Amino acid sequence: MSTPAMARRGFLKGALGIGALAAAGACAPGGGTSAAPSKLAKPTTTSSASAKGEITIWNRSGDLFKVFDAAIGKFREAYPGVKVNHQAVDIDAKLANTLISGTDVPDGSFWDDAKIGGQSEHLYDLTDLISPYRDKIAPYKLSVNTVGGKIYGVPWDLDPGLLWYREDILQDAGVDPAGISTYDDLLTAARTIKEKDPKTRPIHLDKNPFLGQLWLEMLANQQGTSLADAQGKLRLESAEYRRTLGWIQDAVKGELVTHAPYLEAADINTLDSGQQVFVPWAIWWSFAPQQLLKATKGKWRAAPLPAWTPGGARSGAMGGSSFIIPAKAKNPELAWLLYEFLCFTEPGYTAVYGPNSIYPGGLSTSVPSFSPALRPDKPLFKPIDALGGQDLWKVAVEAAATIPAAAPLPVWWAQSVDYLGDNTQRLIEGKMSPDDVIAESAKKIQRNLIDRS
Amino acid sequence: MKQARPGPVQYAVLVLLAIAFLYPIWWALSSSLKPATEIITSPLSVGAVTLDNYRAMFADVPIGTGFVNTALVLAVKGAMTMVFCPLAGYAFAKYTFPGKNALFGVVMLTLMLPTLVLIIPLLLEMSALGWVNTYQALILPGSVDAFSIFWMRQVIAAIPDELLDAGRVDGASEFGVFYRVVIPVIRPGLVALAVLTTMNIYNDFVWPVVAVNDTEHQTLQVVLSTLAQNVTGNRVGADFATVWGELLAAGSIAMLPLLVIFILLQRHFISGILAGSVKG
Amino acid sequence: MAGLTATTARRAAIGSRRLPRLSPYLFIAPFFVVFAAFGVYPLMYALRLSFTRWRGAGEATWVGVGNYVYLLTNPDFWASLGNSAVMWLLIVPIQVVAGLGAAVLLANARLRLRGLFRVAFIAPFVTPLVAMAQVWIVVFDEDYGLVNHVLGLVGLPAVGWLTSTAWAKPTLALLFLWKTTGFAIIILLAGLQAVPGAVYEAASIDGASRWRQFWSLTVPLVRRSIAFLVVVQTLAVFQMFAEPYVVTEGGPYGSTTTAGLYLYEHISASDLGTGAANSFLLVLLVFGLSLGAVRLLRPKEEVS
Repeated sequence: MSTPAMARRGFLKGALGIGALAAAGACAPGGGTSAAPSKLAKPTTTSSASAKGEITIWNRSGDLFKVFDAAIGKFREAYPGVKVNHQAVDIDAKLANTLISGTDVPDGSFWDDAKIGGQSEHLYDLTDLISPYRDKIAPYKLSVNTVGGKIYGVPWDLDPGLLWYREDILQDAGVDPAGISTYDDLLTAARTIKEKDPKTRPIHLDKNPFLGQLWLEMLANQQGTSLADAQGKLRLESAEYRRTLGWIQDAVKGELVTHAPYLEAADINTLDSGQQVFVPWAIWWSFAPQQLLKATKGKWRAAPLPAWTPGGARSGAMGGSSFIIPAKAKNPELAWLLYEFLCFTEPGYTAVYGPNSIYPGGLSTSVPSFSPALRPDKPLFKPIDALGGQDLWKVAVEAAATIPAAAPLPVWWAQSVDYLGDNTQRLIEGKMSPDDVIAESAKKIQRNLIDRS
Repeated sequence: MKQARPGPVQYAVLVLLAIAFLYPIWWALSSSLKPATEIITSPLSVGAVTLDNYRAMFADVPIGTGFVNTALVLAVKGAMTMVFCPLAGYAFAKYTFPGKNALFGVVMLTLMLPTLVLIIPLLLEMSALGWVNTYQALILPGSVDAFSIFWMRQVIAAIPDELLDAGRVDGASEFGVFYRVVIPVIRPGLVALAVLTTMNIYNDFVWPVVAVNDTEHQTLQVVLSTLAQNVTGNRVGADFATVWGELLAAGSIAMLPLLVIFILLQRHFISGILAGSVKG
Repeated sequence: MAGLTATTARRAAIGSRRLPRLSPYLFIAPFFVVFAAFGVYPLMYALRLSFTRWRGAGEATWVGVGNYVYLLTNPDFWASLGNSAVMWLLIVPIQVVAGLGAAVLLANARLRLRGLFRVAFIAPFVTPLVAMAQVWIVVFDEDYGLVNHVLGLVGLPAVGWLTSTAWAKPTLALLFLWKTTGFAIIILLAGLQAVPGAVYEAASIDGASRWRQFWSLTVPLVRRSIAFLVVVQTLAVFQMFAEPYVVTEGGPYGSTTTAGLYLYEHISASDLGTGAANSFLLVLLVFGLSLGAVRLLRPKEEVS
C-alpha cells in the first residue's frame, strides 16, 4: 500500500521544486525524486552581503515572538539582502498539516522537540550544516533532534531542571540548601521542615498529567534514560523509573507533598502561603515568582536538582524547542543562515537572551543549548530581583552542563500521557504502586502505541 | 389571543438563569480590563481598570483584518446558504423523486462526518488547486451545508400540501411555488437559519486555522487561535499571564459586534409570536 | 429520517406530474455540486486512510480492517463512547425540555424584559470558547472557586467539580448547555412561531388547561423542530472535543475523554489511520442514534 495519491503528488511537486532550486544553483539538494529525505548542504553564498532573497519564518505568538522579531532585526543588519517575513501562527494546529500538504510551507519554523521525530521525512536533513557546531551543542538537545543518525532540528533552548526553594523557610529550619545533594537528602530536608511547621507539605508534585509526565521525563533524563530509546523501544521497565516512582511514593507516604496543578489557583495559593517549600521544576518556573507570586516574591531561590546517586547528574531537561527547515521550503539555505545566526553566533543568542525591550533583564526562562553561550562568568540575563537578586544564570548553566543525552521523543509521546501520565497521578494519590504504574503503562503503551506506530 | 401573564416564580427563574448566563461574559469583559497578571492571581476579584491588554492585543495581532475577512466570508458563504439551502430543503421535504432517500442520506452523511478527519485531505485538495491562502478556500468547502438543508427540510415539511397545490392550480412554476408560497410561510424558519448560519460561520475555526497561513486572509477565529495557542495544550511561558490578557481582550472585541447586532435585531428575529405570526 | 407521509408523498407526486421531474434535482443540485467538488475527494481519502496505518510521513501501510478491530477491541474507545453517552443524557433531554420551556416563555408577549432575557440566553453562542473555558476553571475550582465558596457559606462541603471523575462530566455538560441552549431556543422559537394562534384560541375556548394546551398542541406542532434539535445535538455531543480539551484535557483519568476528544487525540498525534477509522465508527453510531431518535419522535400516523 502506498501513500495516498494526493500526498504523493504533493511530494512530487515539492521534489520538482527542489529540483528547480538546484537548477538555479541556489543549493545542492540530496533529495530529488526518491523518498529519501532532502539533505541541506552548505549555502554556496557564504558571504553575508551576497545572500539575497525572502524567507517566511513561523513562530509562536506572544512575548517570544517579539523577542525573535527584534533578534531578526539584528540578523538583517548582518544579512541586509535577506528579507524575513516573520509570522505568528498557531504552530500546533498548522505546521504538521502544512508539512503534509506541502503547500505554502514556511522556510523555517519553531517546533516542539517532541514533534520533530515523527515528521522528519518532511524536514531537511541538517547534519552537514550542524556538524561544525555539534561538539558544542548540549548532548540532550542533539539527541532529541537526531533521528536515524541524522539531525533534523537546529537545537534552540535548553530547559534545565532546578530545585526551587524558599530560602527563608530553609534558614528557619536550619536546612542548608547546599547540603541537599541527593533526592534522599531532599526527603530528609522536607521532613525537617514539616516537623518545624506541621502545616507544610513541602514538595510540589504536579496534578496535570501532561506536565507530570514531562516532569517524570526530566527525572529520567537526569539518570540518562528516557521513555523510549533511539530505536523507539520502551525503557519504562528499568531501575531508573522504579527508583523515581519509588521516591514519589515515599514522599507521598510521608505526607510531604502538595499535589496541585501547575500555577492554577490551588498552586499559586499554596506557594504563597508557605505550604510549598520545594519545587523541583524546569528553569521556566522562574516567571512564577517574577509575575504570579505576591507574598513570597523575593523569597525563592534556585539550586541544582539533587542527584539520584551520589555524584550523579544534577539536572535533566524538561521540554524545549528547536528550529526546523521544511523539505519544501523555497529558500532553505537562507532560513539556515537565520537559524545559524540565532543559535550559534554571539550577536544572535545575545539578542534573544540578553536584556531587550521586552525583557529588560533578559529572557530567563531557558538557556541556549550552544555551549560557548553557556559561560557561568558571562551571563546573558541579569540577576533576578524576585529571586532576591540571585544570579540564576550561573546556577542554570552549571546545572545545564551536567544534563545527559537522551533519545528523540517518540511520535506517540503525547498519547502516552493517557497511560503513564494518568498512572503517575494515581501513584501520587496513593491508588497505585510504582510497580503497577510501570507494568500497566508499559503494557498499554506497547500495545496501543508502539506496536501500532 | 390571551397569553397568561408570567408569574413571580417564572420571573425569579428567568432572572436567576439570566444572571448565570451572563456572568461568564461579564467575567471575560471585566477581566480583559484588569492588569494581566491579576487574571491569573485573583481571577474572581474586580480590580484596577486598564486598557493595557487591548493596547497590547491591537499591537500584536491583526484583529482588524480578522473582522474584515470574517465579514467577507460571512457575506458570501451566508448568501449561498440562504439561497441554496431552502431550495434543497424544499425538494427533500415536498417532492418524491427516484434516489431521494439515498441523496438525502448523502446530505446527512456530510453532517455526521467529523470535520477533523477531513482536514488533511481537504488541505491536500486545496494544495492541488493552488487555493491555500485564498478566500475561496475559506468560503467554498462546507458551503451549502447539510445542517441548513436539514433545518429547512424540517421547516418546510410542516407546510400543508394544500397550500402548495393551491399555488400550482394558480399555474405557478415549481420555482414560483417555492418563491411565492413557501418562502413567505417559512419566514420564522429563515430568520432562524440566518442567525444560526451567522453564528456558525463566525465561530468556525477548525478549517480556517489550517486553510490560511498569511496575515492577509486570517479570520477572527484564526486570530483568536493564534493567541489561544499559548494558553491551551499545556503551553507554559513567561508571558502566560500577558497572553491571557490579550486573549480576553481579543475575545471581548470579537464577540461585541455580534452581541450588538443581536441586541438591536432581536425583536425582529424572534418576534412576538403565537398571535403575531397568524394573519386572519 | 422523518420521511414524507404516504399521503403527502402521493400529493407531491400528483403535483409534479404535470411538470418536468427535473425540478427537485435542480433544487438540490447546488449542494451536490459543492459536495462533488469538496466533499467526495476528502471522504474517499479518509475512507481509504481508515484502512491504513499512516502518521503523515512515509508510505502508508495497508492494514485492512486493523484500525477498526483495534478500536472495537479497545476499552478506551468504548470508554470514550460511554463518556459521550453520559454527556448526552446530561445534555439533550435537559436542553429540549428547558429550551422548550424557555422558548414558550420568551415567546410570551406579556413577559417583561423579554429582550434582555433573549439576549442573555442566546449570547453565549457567540463567545470564544477558550476564554469561556477559563471561567469554568476559575469558577469551579475545588479550593478557590466561586461555586464552592457559595456552598461553603451555606455549610455544604466542597465538591471537586473538575477534579473528581464523578463531577467532571456534569460540570462540562453545564458548559455545553450554557453555550448551546441559545441555539436550541432559536430553533424552538422558530418552530413555535409556526404554531397558528387560532389553534390556541380554539383550545382556550374549549377550556383546555394550559398544561394540556402545551402538551397536546404546542409539542406536536414543534415536533419537527425537536427532532431536528435532537439529531443535531446528538451529533454535536458525540463530536464534542474542544470543550473537554480546553477545560479538563479529557481528565481526570479520562472521565471527560469524549468520543470527539478521543478522535481528536488520534488526529492531533498524527495517528491518522486510526483517527479516520474512529470517525467512520462515530458516523455509524450517530447515524443509528439519530434514526432512533427521529423514529421515536415521529407521530403514530406517520410510522406506517
